[in-house]
Amino acid sequence: MTDPAVEASGLVKEFEKGRRTIWQRLLRRPDQRTTFRAVDGIDLRVETGEIFGLLGPNGAGKTTTMKMISTLLEPTAGTIRVLGIDVAREPRKVRARIGAMLSGERSLYWKLTARENLEYFAALYHVPPHETKERIERCLVAVKLQDRADDYVERFSTGMRQRLALARALLPDPPLVILDEPTVGLDPQASRDLRDRVRELKRQGRTVLLTTHYMEEADQLCDRIAIVDHGQIVALDTPAELKRRIRAEEVVRFEIGLTGDEAPLLGRLSSSASIARSERQNGTLSVTAHCASARDFVPTMFDAAQSIGATVRHVEVVPVSLEDVFISLTGRALRE
Amino acid sequence: MNEAFTAADLRALVAAGQAQLRTLRRYPAAFLGQIFWPVLLPSVWVLMGQAYSGNGDPQAMSAFESRSGTTGVTLFVFVGYAMYMWLSTLLWGPGTQLRRDQVTGTLEAVFLTPVSRVVPLFGPTLSNVIWTFFDLVVVGVAVWLLFGVVLPIGGIVLTLLITLAGMPAMYAMGSFFSASVLRFGEVGPAVQFVRGALSLLCGITFPIVMLPAWAQLTAQAMPPTYVVEAMRAVLLKGAGPIDILPAIGVLAVLAVVFGAFAIALFRVLEASARRTGMLGRY
Repeated sequence: MTDPAVEASGLVKEFEKGRRTIWQRLLRRPDQRTTFRAVDGIDLRVETGEIFGLLGPNGAGKTTTMKMISTLLEPTAGTIRVLGIDVAREPRKVRARIGAMLSGERSLYWKLTARENLEYFAALYHVPPHETKERIERCLVAVKLQDRADDYVERFSTGMRQRLALARALLPDPPLVILDEPTVGLDPQASRDLRDRVRELKRQGRTVLLTTHYMEEADQLCDRIAIVDHGQIVALDTPAELKRRIRAEEVVRFEIGLTGDEAPLLGRLSSSASIARSERQNGTLSVTAHCASARDFVPTMFDAAQSIGATVRHVEVVPVSLEDVFISLTGRALRE
Repeated sequence: MNEAFTAADLRALVAAGQAQLRTLRRYPAAFLGQIFWPVLLPSVWVLMGQAYSGNGDPQAMSAFESRSGTTGVTLFVFVGYAMYMWLSTLLWGPGTQLRRDQVTGTLEAVFLTPVSRVVPLFGPTLSNVIWTFFDLVVVGVAVWLLFGVVLPIGGIVLTLLITLAGMPAMYAMGSFFSASVLRFGEVGPAVQFVRGALSLLCGITFPIVMLPAWAQLTAQAMPPTYVVEAMRAVLLKGAGPIDILPAIGVLAVLAVVFGAFAIALFRVLEASARRTGMLGRY
């Protein structure tokens, strides 16, 4: 039986909040810093050959988890094994087997060309000299940058830099590729392009562990997804199974303009749908409802609004998405 | 840093220096700036010294000789200034490079690789060797063109040898600051202080006998003191290879001591940076 690509158990990471100045230290004033738990007891098992996604809002603890897996951060508690190797005991061995893209375009030397960047990192990854040239060519072709290999990185678009960062992660020919928000800041075309490259990695038999706060990306790319919130995994399954957890066929999002109390309206609506989320702002009530049939629910909603003198301003019927799963689990939208 | 330094790490060390050099080459104006300072500032000090000494008054020159062992004020000052430039490059260079890597985000990318931590610590400093030799050449040409002082060929060769012998200890000293960047981020004020202190202690512009006894003792523990003294000995007093052997021996010992301390410091600060997440913060 092969080892899982990543196995984390009871993973915790705490950071200190606040600051303690040298002056306070010299005067031996009490330490008033508090502890903030960025990752709070994560258990994770990523199987070999799958694309596994950590989905959650900004600040959920995804990147901190990735940094601990890739040896950049030391966990406060818990254990991590990457490809069967203990990260705490043999970090260097782990680093030799993973290709990571954590800070995207920022992680490149902009005054060097794409090829020069890869030459430097090939040496850092201990690629044997007689293989370096061929390996660099292969990585450049994999991210479709072979025509721009000798251009300075400072002249690249954000998408090209992201692709080059991915090429760098592939230099050690790693069985495990770690990608932190790989498409953040990219236009739709560049995002699509990068997702294609990620799918190609899976076809090559590599395991991909990625973080994203784009639900569509997680849905389209990942074999399994762990939804992370406040440093904890709140759900873990395939995208289809996660969506099946919502006992609804359709999602209705609507906005109602009203002046009075919204409680009676919501009470009436909840008899024919599950109200996943409601938020009132400047006289507008935004509601997300999960229902068996929008065809039945929408007329009921209009009747209910009319009965209290409210106006329906916007109605949208969409299939169940991972965003709805997140809302049903946390009561908040991913972007909040 | 507790893992073996392999042949692959050595190749990576050279690659780090090469990458740094490639970047340097893309800012050619920096080389022009490097010509300006090693000429202008020491020239000012030499002219000031000539004014104070009544433009070579025998009594004044004799007083200087009794303290420094030479009457060659011009070369004395220029060699000291070359040392000052080297110190500046060493103390600022590697730390600044690591700090730049930290701010731009490349530091995390380097630390994600299996390379020995010696590489990011010392690799970028390799390119500073070019600046060091460049400064020495500028100083040699400046004293010849501006003050008519011709350097002896034997002295030049030995100066290069002393520079090479002093490098390990000097770079180990510089790496204290690059190690500190990992944990503390900005170390500029500390560099300013140490550079100032070393300039004062190590006889950059005056003989160290002018210092109080305790300061002279401190100076004996600092690599720049031996480098600058040995350089002055071969260029001003006609010292030969045998004469500078003791200084080279001390520099070797200091290299071991400072190098071990630099590596230990790096290990502690890297562990701390991995706990606090400082590697990716700025």
